[in-house]
Amino acid sequence: MTTNTVAPADVQQTGKPILEVVDVTKTYGEGHTAVTAIAAASLSVAEGQFVSLLGPSGSGKTTLISMIGGLLTPTSGTIRLGDQVVSDMSKKELTNLRAERVGFVFQSSNLVPFLTARENLLYVASLPKKHSRKAAAKRADELLGELGLSDRANNVPEKLSGGERQRVAIGRALMNDPDLILVDEPTAALDTALGRQVVQLLAREVKQRGKTGIMVTHDLRMVEYTDQVFEILDGHLTKSDGTTLLDGH
Amino acid sequence: MMLAFAEIKRARGRFLSIIGALALITFLVLTLSALSDGLFYGSTGAYRSSNADGYAYSTDAEGSLIRSRVPVADAQKYGQIPGVTKASGLGVLLTSGTGPNGELDLAVFGVEPGGAGIPTTLTQGRLPNPGEDSAAAVDKTVVDKGATIGSTIKVGDRSVTVVGVTQDSNYQLQPTIWTTIPTWRAMQASVRPETRGLPPNYSAIALEFSNGTTAASIPPVTGTSVLSTDEAALAIPGVKEQRSTLNSIIYTTLLVAALVVALFFALIVLEKRELFAALKALGTSTRRLANTVMTQALVASIIGVIIGVIAARLLGLALPAQVPTLFRTESLIQISIFTIVASVIGALFSLRRIARIDPATALGGALQ
Ligand SMILES: Nc1ncnc2c1ncn2[C@@H]1O[C@H](COP(=O)(O)OP(=O)(O)OP(=O)(O)O)[C@@H](O)[C@H]1O
Ligand SMILES: [Mg+2]
Repeated sequence: MTTNTVAPADVQQTGKPILEVVDVTKTYGEGHTAVTAIAAASLSVAEGQFVSLLGPSGSGKTTLISMIGGLLTPTSGTIRLGDQVVSDMSKKELTNLRAERVGFVFQSSNLVPFLTARENLLYVASLPKKHSRKAAAKRADELLGELGLSDRANNVPEKLSGGERQRVAIGRALMNDPDLILVDEPTAALDTALGRQVVQLLAREVKQRGKTGIMVTHDLRMVEYTDQVFEILDGHLTKSDGTTLLDGH
Repeated sequence: MMLAFAEIKRARGRFLSIIGALALITFLVLTLSALSDGLFYGSTGAYRSSNADGYAYSTDAEGSLIRSRVPVADAQKYGQIPGVTKASGLGVLLTSGTGPNGELDLAVFGVEPGGAGIPTTLTQGRLPNPGEDSAAAVDKTVVDKGATIGSTIKVGDRSVTVVGVTQDSNYQLQPTIWTTIPTWRAMQASVRPETRGLPPNYSAIALEFSNGTTAASIPPVTGTSVLSTDEAALAIPGVKEQRSTLNSIIYTTLLVAALVVALFFALIVLEKRELFAALKALGTSTRRLANTVMTQALVASIIGVIIGVIAARLLGLALPAQVPTLFRTESLIQISIFTIVASVIGALFSLRRIARIDPATALGGALQ
């Protein structure tokens, strides 16, 4: 671990930054009705870090990770993922970026209801331009095994429990070996114990694979599984030292 | 492809409904078209099988052979018009007669053997020879009703012996028998006593043209008008009307097919907005989702059409012979293609909706 002199004060560097967000602003709408959802946010996350993003409803959490994941384009500012400038990309480039470099876990798992767990993984494997069916099948089986889903692999989501579905969604997010995993309230649809298990699993996968992860959550108890905590309040992003969190709730 | 087929396989119920709807539409359109073809072909066979290029009617007949009456001398006059290579008298009588299996409706055609206006669709035997007055060739439908070569058919007090069989040569849905002019006259005098004692005439004159001559270019003899054989077929009372009525029902039904498919896929896409948003967020291109929907529309319509075709053919076999249906391969292929194209067009309407789905709505909170 080397000290990095140019790092922003609020970012703890543990390796080379894979994700850099510089002065990013997002404004919805125009004129009188304009809403600034994110105001001049900056952060940088190093490879292998699992970060949580906390904040009250409407504070801009989803907006921020949507921009980072190439689902929204910032009004101003720069987002860099490795050597690519996400904030400059066209729609088509963003689609490819998401297919190849970003893994998403949604609030409700949003699995394809008519594909089995295994096929849900294979489906995303077919999205990048270059893909091998054989390698994908092998990887899907490995992931399902790791997530404890081997004997559920041929079930459609309807036949899976909520926790199992979220585990499949995690497998799907990891399938294409992305650089970045983005998770928006993964436990919203689960009870506490299950939610905890899912987040634990996520943290383990992110760590083991040396991925970078950002998890949006309302749930303070999930914070213990992450390396760093960021807070958003009314579109303003700050790195938390752990004290304000307890004050707010 | 993976999505398209997996959904059809695993969400079979909903696709069965659209396949069923398309099968029903195909069945309906095919049956209507078979009826339209049956009526058309059964009404116009005498013209379509004829060797004549045109027909001259009395002007007041409006193209109806039954109403038309032309003086015998007009045949000679037509024969002298340049461009006319043959002009033969033609006699028509719609009546009933007695065949081996009893009474049957008949259209008696008196023709001049070797002249114009004789059928070219002989499948067995021969036409009556010149001067052979008690012989007739009959349409296959008469054979279906029990006649064979050598059997006797009686109209009024005149009997003829069957010497040949023609095909697809009926007139106004009545089976035809093809005999000589004198036999026709004798039959007419026998069943229509009011025609006795009138100066001899023909119903119409069948014409054969030299190359390059058309019906329109012939100066008609006074009191008559000339139609080409194709025009004559459409001029049969009711034929044009039947055909255009049935055709407009067919086109409307095809439009309904497009609407049904459009509605179905609009619903499917509406229902899957959230899933499609998630798939787009995962990096699925709009194009791939569009391909999925179009593939499904194509597969559903092809299966629906196949079932519809089979059902229509089975109905065709089960229908009694009195119902004039004709299943032509040409119409069948045409309608199948039209139905599939209509479905694909219907499905195209959902593509705009797919394109408009915003992947950003896939993340929690943004959908509200
Ligand atoms: N598409 C949009 N158009 C206009 N305003 C939007 C849009 N999406 C979000 N906003 C606004 O931007 C602000 C931030 O929204 P965002 O969804 O990022 O909040 P959040 O922190 O994810 O909230 P939650 O915890 O409820 O999910 C809110 O005021 C919201 O109303
Ligand atoms: Mg949110």
